Amino acid sequence: MSTTYPGVDVPDPKLQKATRLGLVVDQNRCVGCWSCSVACKEEQNVPIGMYWLRVLTVGGDAMDVPAGTFPDLKMAYQPTQCFQCDNPPCVKACPTQATYKMDNGIVNVNYERCIGCRYCMVACPYDNRVFNWRKPVQEPPASVTVVGETPPRFKGVVEKCTFCVQRVTKGLLPRCVIACPAGARSFGDLDDPDSTVSVLLRDRSSYVVFPERGTEPSLHYLLPTGPNVTGGAL
Amino acid sequence: MSVASTESTLTAPARGSRGLTVWTIVLVALILLGFGVWIYQIAKGLQITNMRDNVIWGLYIISFMFFVGLSAGGLIIASAGRLFGVERFAPIVRLAVVEATVTIATAALLIIPDLGHVQHIYNLVIHAHWLSPMIWDLTVILIYLVLSLLYCWLYMRRDLAARGSWLALGTKDTGQAGRDRDHHLTYVLAWIALPAAVLVHSITAWIFGLQISRGFWYSAIMPPLFISSALVSGLALVTILAFIVRRSGRISFGDDLGSFLGGLLAVFLAVEAFLVLCEVLAGYYPGIPTDAVHQLFTGRYAPGFAVEIIVGLVIPFILLAVAAWRRRPQVVVVACVLALIGIFVHRANLIVIGLGKAPIQLAPGTPLGTPQSDGSSFATTSVYFPSIWEFLIVIGIVALAALVFTLAARHLPLRERP
Repeated sequence: MSTTYPGVDVPDPKLQKATRLGLVVDQNRCVGCWSCSVACKEEQNVPIGMYWLRVLTVGGDAMDVPAGTFPDLKMAYQPTQCFQCDNPPCVKACPTQATYKMDNGIVNVNYERCIGCRYCMVACPYDNRVFNWRKPVQEPPASVTVVGETPPRFKGVVEKCTFCVQRVTKGLLPRCVIACPAGARSFGDLDDPDSTVSVLLRDRSSYVVFPERGTEPSLHYLLPTGPNVTGGAL
Repeated sequence: MSVASTESTLTAPARGSRGLTVWTIVLVALILLGFGVWIYQIAKGLQITNMRDNVIWGLYIISFMFFVGLSAGGLIIASAGRLFGVERFAPIVRLAVVEATVTIATAALLIIPDLGHVQHIYNLVIHAHWLSPMIWDLTVILIYLVLSLLYCWLYMRRDLAARGSWLALGTKDTGQAGRDRDHHLTYVLAWIALPAAVLVHSITAWIFGLQISRGFWYSAIMPPLFISSALVSGLALVTILAFIVRRSGRISFGDDLGSFLGGLLAVFLAVEAFLVLCEVLAGYYPGIPTDAVHQLFTGRYAPGFAVEIIVGLVIPFILLAVAAWRRRPQVVVVACVLALIGIFVHRANLIVIGLGKAPIQLAPGTPLGTPQSDGSSFATTSVYFPSIWEFLIVIGIVALAALVFTLAARHLPLRERP
C-alpha cells in the first residue's frame, strides 16, 4: 500500500487556488545542513557562485560556529531566501516592471525585461537577490536542464527565489520544502485559516525579519526554544 | 584690418593651437580606450568591476550623481543670477549654461556602463514603471537636457547668426530688437530652468533617499543635501572653467568676479557643512552601535570622511573666507579644486557605506555572487574600491565631456555682449 502526499506525489489544488503563498521555517527543527539550498540549486539550476537560498548562522562569526565560550554556547540557523513580501520594495523600484507580484503573492522576475540596473537589490532590505556578474555558469548547462523548467538567465540580470513558481502553479510544493530532512519547512496559503502555515503561526510564537520596515514578508520563522539557541533573528 | 580677418578671429581662433592639438589627441585616445573597455565589459560581464552582491553600485553611480550635481549647480547659478538680477554673473552665464548642458549629458551617459544587460535598455521606454524613482530621474534628465540646449541656443543664437553659423538653426535676425527679445526670453526660461535644476537633483537624491532598505540613505534631508552638494561642486567647476577660458581670451571678466564667486562658494560650503552635521548628528546621537554613521568615524572608510570634511570643507572655506586671499585667482582655483574633491568623496562615502552596511548581509553564510579567490563563494566583509576597468570607462566618458566642452568653448560665442 502506497501513500500519496498532496503537493509531493499528486497536485494539491489548494496551492493553485492560493491568494497569498507563504513559508514557515521552524528554527527549532533546522539543523543547518543546506539540503534546501542544494535542492534549490538543482531545481532552479542556480549558477555557480550564486545562491537563491542560504543558511545563515546566528551565533559566532563563522558558519556553524556558536557564540560564547564553552559551556555557555548559543547558536541557531536562519535559512534565508526571498521573503516574497506583500509590500515588496523591489517591485516598486524596478524601472522596467521586470520584477512583478503575481496573484498568488509570489514576486517573480522576467529575465527578458531586466536591464541589470540592480535597483531592486538596493531596494531589498534583506539582500536576498543575486546578480549574474558574469555569464551564468550552470551545471548541467541550461540547455540540458529538464528538471527545473526555469527560464534561461543572461549575464547581467538579477535573479532570486520564486517559491518554485513553475511547481506551485501545478499544485506542487517548492523543492526546498520537500528536501528538508528535518521537516522544518511548511508551505501553504496564509490567507487560508486552515492551512498548515496558518495553524503553525497561530499555535507557535513566530517573527518576520525587520517588521518595522513594513514590507510584510511571507516567510515567517518559528522562534527557537531551549537552552542553547539564540533569540532567533539576526 | 579687413572684414575677412575680423570674421576669422570670430570663428577660428589660432591661439594655443599646439597645446590644444595635444590635448585633443589625448582626450580622443582616452575616449577610445574607455569605449574599448566598455566593449570588453559587455563581453565579460560586470565581473570585471569590483562591485559584488553586497556593494551593488560603485564608481559608475558615484560619478553619475557627481555629474548630475555639477550640472544642476551650474544651471542653478546661471538661472538664479538671471532671475534675481545678479548682473555680475553676466560674463560667465553662457559658460555656466554650456557647462550644465555638457555635464548632464555626461551624467546620462554614465548610467550606460552600469547596466548589466544593456541589450534590454529599450525596456526603459516600452515597459517604463512610473513608481520607480529611476524612471522619474531618467524622464527629468531628458527634459532638463532639452531645456539646457534651448537655454544655450537662446543665449547664443543671435551671435551665431551674425557669424553665419548653421548652429543658429534658422535664426537670421541679428538686430538689437531681437537681442532684447531673447534677453527677455532667457528671463522667462530661467523661471523654468531654476526649478528644473532643483528637481533634477532632488529626484536623483530620491533614488537613494526613498529606499527604506538602507538606513544610511533613508532620510528626508537627502534632497537638500544633494542640492547643497550640487551648488558647491557646480559653482566650483564653473569658476575653474571660467578662469581657464579667460586665459584663452574667449571670455573676459575682472578678478573681482573671481573674488565674488569665491565668497559665494564659501557660503555654499558652510551650508553643506551644516547639512552634513544635521545628517551625521541625527545618526550618531542615539548611540546605536550598528548604525552606519559610525563607519564615518572608525574603520576602513573613516579616512574618506576625514578627507570630505577637512580637504573638502574646512580648508577651502578658510581659503575663501579671508577676503584678502580670495582676491587672488590662484587661491580661488585651489579652493575650488579641493571643494570638488570633497564633494566627490562625499558622494563615494554615501554610496559605499550606505550599501556596505546592510543589517542582514554580514552573517556567516553570505555569498557574494562569484567564486572568490580562495575557492569559496562566501564572505563576511564587504569592501569596495573600483577596479582599473571601472576607472578607465569613467575616465573615457569624462574625457568625452572635456572634449565636447573644449570644442564648445572654442567655437561658441561665450562672450556676453555689453
